Amino acid sequence: MPKDLPRTLALSLTALFLLYPLWGLASPVGHWQWDASGLSSALATSFGLTGVALAIVVAVGTPLAFSLRGATRSTRIAFEAVVLLSVLMPPLALGLLLALAFGPATALGGLLLHLGIPTSNNPTAFVVTQIYASLGYYLLGAQAAFEAVPRELEQSAALLGLAPREVLWRITLPLARLGLAAALSLAWVRALGEFGAIMVTAYYPHGIPVQLWVDLQDQGLPAVLPLLIVFLLTALPLPWALRLLVGTRGYA
Amino acid sequence: MLDCRVQKTRRTYEVAVDILAGGERVALFGPSGSGKSTILSCLAGLEVPDAGHIRCDHETWFPPSLALHHRSVGYLRQREPLFPHLPVSENVQFSLDAATRVQERDWIAEIRSRLDLDALWHARPPHLSGGQARRVALARTLCRRPRLVLLDEPFAGLDRPLARELARILKDWQERLGFVLLAVDHDPLVLEGLCPRVIAMEEGRRVQEGSWAELRQRPATPTLRALLDLDP
Repeated sequence: MPKDLPRTLALSLTALFLLYPLWGLASPVGHWQWDASGLSSALATSFGLTGVALAIVVAVGTPLAFSLRGATRSTRIAFEAVVLLSVLMPPLALGLLLALAFGPATALGGLLLHLGIPTSNNPTAFVVTQIYASLGYYLLGAQAAFEAVPRELEQSAALLGLAPREVLWRITLPLARLGLAAALSLAWVRALGEFGAIMVTAYYPHGIPVQLWVDLQDQGLPAVLPLLIVFLLTALPLPWALRLLVGTRGYA
Repeated sequence: MLDCRVQKTRRTYEVAVDILAGGERVALFGPSGSGKSTILSCLAGLEVPDAGHIRCDHETWFPPSLALHHRSVGYLRQREPLFPHLPVSENVQFSLDAATRVQERDWIAEIRSRLDLDALWHARPPHLSGGQARRVALARTLCRRPRLVLLDEPFAGLDRPLARELARILKDWQERLGFVLLAVDHDPLVLEGLCPRVIAMEEGRRVQEGSWAELRQRPATPTLRALLDLDP
């Protein structure tokens, strides 16, 4: 028996299992309907606003995850509990809580409304909801990536005369890059595919998941399947390319 | 010139040692757990002494504790890790910026040649043997010409000919560049070939100081006698 046969079998079976639902695309649901304007608008909303949300998540989450390494154990445990809470929250529940907490009846919601920032059904609400949905995933992944970088290497770099900022740039980040890329991929997928929470807080403008729902309600499966294919084809390249770009020689 | 007094409390005893060394090679010798590595760690800046002082070439490193990246120190630890994501060439020149690399071209070429790194220059650390990795670590430590070089069991795990060769190279460079070299080991044969002067330590204290010949003629304690493999 070839040495890698069990692995090949296991990988093939898992891939088959994961890909099997796509067989549904071949179902006889009738003539597919393409709504080009709805499709492009949903794509622009989803990718544009998810990009903004992810930029904020990375900008806030990366230094935060790094700083957690220096925190006391009790601080870390308490903070991780908060992060896990946000990750474990069912999306619909998250949407409902966000709608209630940022509603016009609350002090914060009232203030934002007073400042001309509506807290539902607009791009800001869309982005904020995506941040709530994905920040926890990014933080947990980034924290693990930083933890996996051996402190001894950072000490060696400092002993060779590098200031902390240079150590971060030349040692910590390159060694954590694979883990950070995985965290970013996860956050991207989570934010882009968010439906339950967005449905409550930002039904408008329609992103792809909401557009899928609307099309299903209005026109049925013939309108949903082509949109789904476009969604999958456009959402996959970023996390996939990210993994390829950072290579496989990472340490986290 | 290194002028220091390091005091550091350990679980079972207090380390308290004075060292005054010009551009010379000094061995810290003693049984495991006698505080030798603690002293190196404090000098490098990885640990902060409880009291005392550290001055190197009229620059005060403690107190207050100078950040380790501001100390001109090369610290080769027992299992000094190489940067796994960088090739040997980048590991060796890690501490030098682009301009300094150009200025130090001859010095880098000498390091590369004497430590026999030519064939390894573009290799990645995971592909190196223990002895090769040790040579690269030594090259990296010395590349920026530190004023103080600290070696913690520098030749542990290496075969005797390679250890002797590295000791000979280190001696040559120290005499030419004039840095202070402090080496720690519990194997007298390793240290004797490298450092003419020795400070013997036990339980955090200096118990004897002098040449190796003096130490062998009149070891101050039974433990030293045993470590030197002398008849009782």
